[in-house]
Amino acid sequence: MPEKKKPVVDYVRCMACGACVPACPAGCIALTRQGLDRYRNAFPELGTPGSCTGCGLCARACPVECIAMAEA
Amino acid sequence: MKACMGKVLRVDLGARSFEEVPVPDESYRKYLGGLGLAAAILYDEIPAGADPLGPDNVLCFSSGLLTGTGSVMTGRWMVSCKSPLTGGWGDANCGGTFSPAIKQCGWDAILFRGVASGPVIFVADAKGPRLEDASDLWGRDAIETEEALLARWPEGKKPAIATIGQAAERLSLISGISNDLGRYAARSGVGAVMGSKRLKAVVLRGNRPISCADPATVKAISRAYSDKVRKQNLPRLFKGRFLPLLGKALGMKQVIPMDGIMSAGILRRWGTIYNNLAGAVNGDSPMKNWGGSVADFGPRHYQRLDPDRFISRETRKYHCYSCVIGCGGVLDVSGVIPGVKHSHKPEYETACAFGALCLNDDLETVLRCNEICNRSGLDTISAGTTVAFAIECFENGLLTKEDSGGLELHWGNAKAIVALLELMARREGLGDILADGTRVAARRIGKGSERYAIHAGGQEPGMHDSRMDPMMGVAFSADPTPGRHTISASVYYNVSHVWDDVPWAPASTRIYPKSEEYEATDREADKSVAGACLKQVIDAAGGCLFALTTGVQHWRIFDYLDAATGEKRGAEAYMETGRRIQTLRQLFNVKQGLDPRTTIMHKRMAGVPPLKDGPLAGATVPIGDMVSNYWRRFGWDPVTGIPLPATLEALSLPGTDGAIGATKTAAGTEAS
Repeated sequence: MPEKKKPVVDYVRCMACGACVPACPAGCIALTRQGLDRYRNAFPELGTPGSCTGCGLCARACPVECIAMAEA
Repeated sequence: MKACMGKVLRVDLGARSFEEVPVPDESYRKYLGGLGLAAAILYDEIPAGADPLGPDNVLCFSSGLLTGTGSVMTGRWMVSCKSPLTGGWGDANCGGTFSPAIKQCGWDAILFRGVASGPVIFVADAKGPRLEDASDLWGRDAIETEEALLARWPEGKKPAIATIGQAAERLSLISGISNDLGRYAARSGVGAVMGSKRLKAVVLRGNRPISCADPATVKAISRAYSDKVRKQNLPRLFKGRFLPLLGKALGMKQVIPMDGIMSAGILRRWGTIYNNLAGAVNGDSPMKNWGGSVADFGPRHYQRLDPDRFISRETRKYHCYSCVIGCGGVLDVSGVIPGVKHSHKPEYETACAFGALCLNDDLETVLRCNEICNRSGLDTISAGTTVAFAIECFENGLLTKEDSGGLELHWGNAKAIVALLELMARREGLGDILADGTRVAARRIGKGSERYAIHAGGQEPGMHDSRMDPMMGVAFSADPTPGRHTISASVYYNVSHVWDDVPWAPASTRIYPKSEEYEATDREADKSVAGACLKQVIDAAGGCLFALTTGVQHWRIFDYLDAATGEKRGAEAYMETGRRIQTLRQLFNVKQGLDPRTTIMHKRMAGVPPLKDGPLAGATVPIGDMVSNYWRRFGWDPVTGIPLPATLEALSLPGTDGAIGATKTAAGTEAS
């Protein structure tokens, strides 16, 4: 059986806008990843991977298309 | 139509009933969403003469039409009602995470009427809408309330929550509504309306999809805009102390065209507090209750509010939903505010209201005042202005130590400023007299104190001096929600590039003398009209003012609207919609008996008498003539400000009966 796909964020393109967060029906994405830029921005990451169903709604919601669904 | 949800929810708090009402596509075409949809509905549903704090007032939370469509900088929510502060149209808007949550529950707006029999919260989730008892939350501050509610849903999707603090419960006319632990829709007294309904919080936890007609085009616009914003990075060597140079450039006698995208770099670094220094130098920041200048609050003082001193406490940036700039921030305030570790970074408006306006240069006081307001729910602009009013009254003998409970209300007395604000939040002593803003306070104090009560139509103005930007003064005086600094101003207009898409909007592409802005010409009036129309479109779409100030040649809002809705209407049609919304808000005021001639800003704000020193020395604004021209170019009566019948007909707005009279259904919503 193929692995469930999970969101993978391209942090070079991500603008930390948070549009992916409310798109997740299970609430498993949070803006918690810091230390990636000089502005102290908090970027999205999968906080509770076990809850992710791989539905891809976060990727669909991303305005700059920086989230890809990939096999974990 | 795509992008909208096609429904609103009516909630009767007294009857504890709910009704989903479909909204026809034609209403969205006519008014878009957000503020436009709210204006259309509330104009029809709030009866003339309604008590703003009574059951007939309707409190409307609405989401922007573009929110959730894949667009960026479009995550703002609007709250609208009849304002208890001005007696006319009231609205406020806010970023955060609440706007998409309204749509994800399946509605474009939620309308609250009636008064609950006891404190309640409104909850909408998979179980549907309901009211729950909130006795345990009543009396708690806005942030505590949100934290307590978040703890009720520890698993799964985090709810979006709007709350009020104790100031709103106590019906302070200068209170607002919070979301995201202290970000505010602060203006117009919207918090008092929510408090009057005994509605402590609105909790939204939906998962409905939000449609978009052409997501590929919307995202292409988002990517292009984001790429430009990403490149806006100020050199690390450019420190806050250099910002006075920027202030000087913006305050020159010659106005030079600029590309607004540069502002993204400034906002990314500091947020709005960059203007603590820039505004002090060029006169944008009102000082000493609009009666002073840098002669009273010079570099030795304003440099203590250097934005780098705030940023040194920043632990992370804060972005509103879909914001790619991120002007917000969270500060570590340990050791400054007892029992509090983190606090939202103050906005410039707050820093100026409790800083230069009160001649206070103590940064920690600004942080404390910000937190007191965020917790109690007081609007920082109005509260700071009211504190400055009280100080001026005290300094001139209209208030005494007996009145103030022993507080020495002298200019710059940091401890007294904090103590007075706490009294206002609790409505105790002098604070009870001041808790409804300057106009009401002056009536209570008497003794001629109204000469120090800075307001426009009852609302305290934003911290941008109309003697530096007369177009701002027109907005302060003539907008249906007077006193607002976010409607239109030359400093916004000149970088908006709206003329690229809208031929009738005056182009601002050449160097011109600043003195032109002080003349009551048709060109200046048309700039005000275009700015106001554009702002209505933005507020209907859920857009951010700071996106507008990067310029619509970059942030292509008109293309966004076409692509998201699937309706190819073009910029001019949307600007016509903006004109319709603004005219309808004005009609609301007329219907409610608010005479537009009574909202002209305090004469001190127009330079009567003129300042004796500082960068604005001698400046006066012919505000009467400028407002008259603005009304005329809007198609409103140039003497009374009442929209003319021909204008109403051209905009397909409700007919008049008598002065303005009874109306037909404006929004197309069905009667309950």
